[in-house]
Amino acid sequence: MKKIISFILGTVVALNLTISVANAAAKSVRVAFFIEWPTPNQEDKVKKMFDKALGVPVEWTNFANGGAMTDAMLAGDIDISYSQGLVPFINAVKSKAPIKLVDIAMEYGMGGTTCVTSNASGITKANATELEGKKVAVPLGTMAEYVFDESMKVVGADKSKMTVIQMDPEEGAAALVSGDVVMACLFGGNSIKAATAAGTRLLTVQEARDAGILGIDITSVTDKFMKENPGMLKTFIEVTHEANTRYKAGKSDMNIVAKDAEMSLADTKETIGGFKFLTPAETEKSMTSGSLSKFLKGMGTPNGAVDTSFLPL
Amino acid sequence: MLTGIITFVVIFAVIGSILYGRKLAKTEKLDAVFGNPERANGGVHWVIVGSSFLLLTWLYYSWDMAKSFYPQSANELCQVAKVNDSLLSLKYLFPIEEREFKSTSIIKGENKNIEKLANEIKNSPKLSEQDKSELLKFIDKTKKTIPLLTDERLLENETKIQIKDLTNRIVSLTEEFQKESYPPITSIEEENKRIEALKTQGKWGASATAVENTVEIPTIPETKMGLKFDAAAKELTLISEDFFNLKNHNSQYINLMQEIRDEIKAYESGLNDTQKVASALAKDVLKIARRIEYASIFPPNTLDDMQQSIINFDEVQKKEQGILKYVDIFLFPAGTIVSSGPNCSEQGSGRWLPKPSDTFNKFILLMQPSIGFKNVPMVWYEMMDVSKIVGFILPDWIADIMPGKYPIHNQEGTVTPNFKSNVLKVVTGEFSLFKIPVPMGHIWDSFLRVLLGLLLGVIFGVPLGLFMGLNRFAKGFFDPLIELYRPVPPLAWAPLVITVFGIDNVGKVFLLFMVSFSIMIISARAGASGTQLSKIHASHSLGASKWQILRYVIFPNSLPEILTGVRVAVGMCWGTLVAAEFLAGTTGIGFVENVAKKYFQYEVIWITIFVMGMLGLLFDVALRKIIDKTIPWHGKG
Repeated sequence: MKKIISFILGTVVALNLTISVANAAAKSVRVAFFIEWPTPNQEDKVKKMFDKALGVPVEWTNFANGGAMTDAMLAGDIDISYSQGLVPFINAVKSKAPIKLVDIAMEYGMGGTTCVTSNASGITKANATELEGKKVAVPLGTMAEYVFDESMKVVGADKSKMTVIQMDPEEGAAALVSGDVVMACLFGGNSIKAATAAGTRLLTVQEARDAGILGIDITSVTDKFMKENPGMLKTFIEVTHEANTRYKAGKSDMNIVAKDAEMSLADTKETIGGFKFLTPAETEKSMTSGSLSKFLKGMGTPNGAVDTSFLPL
Repeated sequence: MLTGIITFVVIFAVIGSILYGRKLAKTEKLDAVFGNPERANGGVHWVIVGSSFLLLTWLYYSWDMAKSFYPQSANELCQVAKVNDSLLSLKYLFPIEEREFKSTSIIKGENKNIEKLANEIKNSPKLSEQDKSELLKFIDKTKKTIPLLTDERLLENETKIQIKDLTNRIVSLTEEFQKESYPPITSIEEENKRIEALKTQGKWGASATAVENTVEIPTIPETKMGLKFDAAAKELTLISEDFFNLKNHNSQYINLMQEIRDEIKAYESGLNDTQKVASALAKDVLKIARRIEYASIFPPNTLDDMQQSIINFDEVQKKEQGILKYVDIFLFPAGTIVSSGPNCSEQGSGRWLPKPSDTFNKFILLMQPSIGFKNVPMVWYEMMDVSKIVGFILPDWIADIMPGKYPIHNQEGTVTPNFKSNVLKVVTGEFSLFKIPVPMGHIWDSFLRVLLGLLLGVIFGVPLGLFMGLNRFAKGFFDPLIELYRPVPPLAWAPLVITVFGIDNVGKVFLLFMVSFSIMIISARAGASGTQLSKIHASHSLGASKWQILRYVIFPNSLPEILTGVRVAVGMCWGTLVAAEFLAGTTGIGFVENVAKKYFQYEVIWITIFVMGMLGLLFDVALRKIIDKTIPWHGKG
């Protein structure tokens, strides 16, 4: 009996003490990113420029979606999430996760995130109301869900009358090809390529841009890392913006970016061509009064989730 | 309130049951030696202890006990967290929680980086000797910036005054903080505003009115103590911001830094395109110089007073927490309330383990048919016309083989139905009979899928299994087929099956059928081949036909194996179903869990887990009843 009690008490004490040991000393910086999502700073990533600039090793981990990035940040395994979608970030902040938005990775039209209708269904923008009563694949809780919501408003279809199926982009593309769904909303170069082989974009990139449908990917960071390593965070953002400037000047080595993004060179150029990389000044404007701040307000994000003080202005 | 009562009831139940158990052990008959199965009979009181422990653990680690006994604690701890949050940005520079000064570790690191870079330059084959010496000169200068920052004699008076000022602010805050009157009331207007805001502020815990809302912690201070910490946190934030902006950049340092910048710039502009390596290395040198510039490096001992004042404040604020400190330690195990900007959140077990009371509220909410999850109720009924069933059963081609042609519209633009079109209406179910209620919803859908998959598996698997156990051809013919697909985990099939059969129920049921089918074959086969030969011989000599032997000897003998197989299959089916619903779905428990995960709705995730556990238990209990009924002799040999 005494043994049992002491065992239980011991377990309780041990459990209570296991408060997550985070990256306090910052012997390395752990960054989350996406593959199939080419960005200029991947050249710096491959050439270890981040390691040099930060003075400590930078470990990159790739994720399938932005929600998983948040999970990893909360578990103390990731310090910085680069190009996390805004929607997963907002979902996380709404559930009071201690993470902050410190930079805009890029804005993009529907080049990188889009809804594709199957050619067999014959549905286009003109007769989009026919989507009602049919099945559509949407990766819920991602930027693609936002694009889906907004696109339906543009084409005037009632999404509550559709059967929305939760599917990740790869499966959504497969379901579109096999005819299980008439429309799939997806992100990622290879998935969109697979889907457009059997379908067409509901809205062209230009149409989406005209309708104000804008994707925003951001850089988010855990509160703890931000507080303890402000210098590293600032440097990280600075190097990223330097890479963006280099890309805009046409000096990026796209072969390296394509290889790291695990895409073909042509696809990489096409995908990255749809991205708009903001200058630090533009970023600040977007964060304080521009599209990002409107987006956050529109989604009912709690205040205090954005910090502009790390931008290299 | 309810949680509090339950906690006490559970604790008393545990104590009572343990005492009863000990008493029982003493009065037990002594001839039940170790190994006698009778020693495992009975024991309801241990069931009570077991489930109570589960409940207690849940109540404790989800911090529901804290919520019921100290409902204010989350709000107060939130204010304390704000103080800690503000303190953190001051503390991290000092060896308070770390081993060394932040600046010490930066200097150590950068000295290493400088050395590494110097070696790289020296050993680089692509650089000319002139470039090398130039770059090494930059390195040398960068190295010299560090002593300029750490030399006490160079510390400028202005910086000294600023440090002194910041230290004084912390010291006076520490003094004020201990006073009863802190924080001073600023104005009645402000106070009224706060009281107004308090009224609209929610309570600690998950909202019971909307599925989407997750746990919330009221952030506006509700108590006197909370106010105190809130005010201190605001002051500390100002102090730490000022400190953050304070840089020990004396004129000598600024000059040298400017020199490095200018020289590197001049050097770089002098390089042509073929000297990329040199340019990159020059940039690296500048990066180090700028890192040093950005770091808050001060001479040793300059910040001693400040460090002491921070430590003092920390001690005072810990003391001022009073009983709250112990509430935090004992009632908030494995984590605490953490502040992030203006918001507070639960971090640790309280975050991912929702409180039983919250979970219960959410469950009630989800079960309401008008709310449900994503517009589909968890389990409810809908009125369905019987004609739909008729239409489902009768094949549509009946209408096609009827004589005549389908009606064509006439000149007036109307269509007159004829016999053939009327038949079509009947076979497609497009007419109205009476309506009957049928179940629907997430739970029902999952339940039905498992049931169908299982039944199909039993219907096809058992005969084939028996056949394989009794016939050489069947065994040889089907064995490779079955054995090839059986060891593959069902999840590996999932993406393929869903592509082939589609994302509707057919694909999912087929996947479950695959799972149960192989298990049923194996168990039926083992049952059939395990029948005692003497029994078969006996029935033969009594003149039984082949069918009679199968029906009355072999089948009853394999029943125990078959029913055990069914129990195994049920478990496997549930596991596979959830994964299948993860892949693609519009309804089902797995779908609910997958979507809830994306929105961080931990309560909903736990609800789905409980529902699955309960349904699994339901299946198992039902099966045990069937086993008791059909093979009462089992286990009694």
